[in-house]
Amino acid sequence: MTIQINTSLIGKEYPPYAVTVERGKIKEFARAIGDANALYLDDRVGAASEWGDLIAPPTFAVTFRDEAADTAAFLRELGTDISRILHGEQEFELFRPLQPGQTYLCRSKVLDIYEKAGRSGPMAFVVRETSIADGSNEIVATMRHITIVRL
Amino acid sequence: MKYAKVYFDDIKVGDELPPLVKGPIQQIQLTRYAGASGDFNPIHQDDEFARAAGMSGVFAHGMLSMGFVGQAVTDWSGAGTVRKLGVRFAALVRLKDVVTCRGRVVGKSSKDDLHLVELEVWAENQRAEKVVTGRATVALPSRA
Repeated sequence: MTIQINTSLIGKEYPPYAVTVERGKIKEFARAIGDANALYLDDRVGAASEWGDLIAPPTFAVTFRDEAADTAAFLRELGTDISRILHGEQEFELFRPLQPGQTYLCRSKVLDIYEKAGRSGPMAFVVRETSIADGSNEIVATMRHITIVRL
Repeated sequence: MKYAKVYFDDIKVGDELPPLVKGPIQQIQLTRYAGASGDFNPIHQDDEFARAAGMSGVFAHGMLSMGFVGQAVTDWSGAGTVRKLGVRFAALVRLKDVVTCRGRVVGKSSKDDLHLVELEVWAENQRAEKVVTGRATVALPSRA
């Protein structure tokens, strides 16, 4: 049985949310990947670096979430649930590394939703983009996320 | 102190990154990545849930493999040099899989003080099947 995806979400923008990066979260994330780079883990190496503190690994922004938002609600609104989704593609553009103690403002929107026949049946692709701005409202990173829904 | 592992001037198109071998993937790493990333989808933790979803067992977060690819790039170019990293998740990574990340320089460009190197990056499992394919751009210092 296939499901219907709600394409009226194309163009929808979500309320901005703020994320303050904690030093321990950067270390936890690097260790979970098994990346022992001193610039992610060693406060003294970070302090002596050109950035003056630790920096985050290139994929760290994926941890940025709107704590007030309900992921299950987004999937329901889309017409699906967590058991049907797969991660299709992911892209980060980084203008500056993310750093501990900084508060970033994130703005997400749905760029596109389209259907395609996959190897294992029909699938919907949901393209979302999040821009990440620093305290002076300068964009420091953007991420693009393609979720695949098995229909 | 400028942190430079490699200089723009020393890179040639066709240069290959040292391969980075990760795994075998264990459940504990997926649990740890769930905690670190905030992605608690049970499909990566609960075999019964994954099977009920038609996935023949738990599999790794795509983002964990992307993290490995990011590490392969920064092990070579230095942390903080990545300007772009984009991947497609081509196949699932399962428990006990060994993931080898690779990359190759496909282009170089300079504009003013910005020196960019473009890479083709990918990760493959122990059967040499590509599990991640993508592109990365790093900004490197020049000796000039």
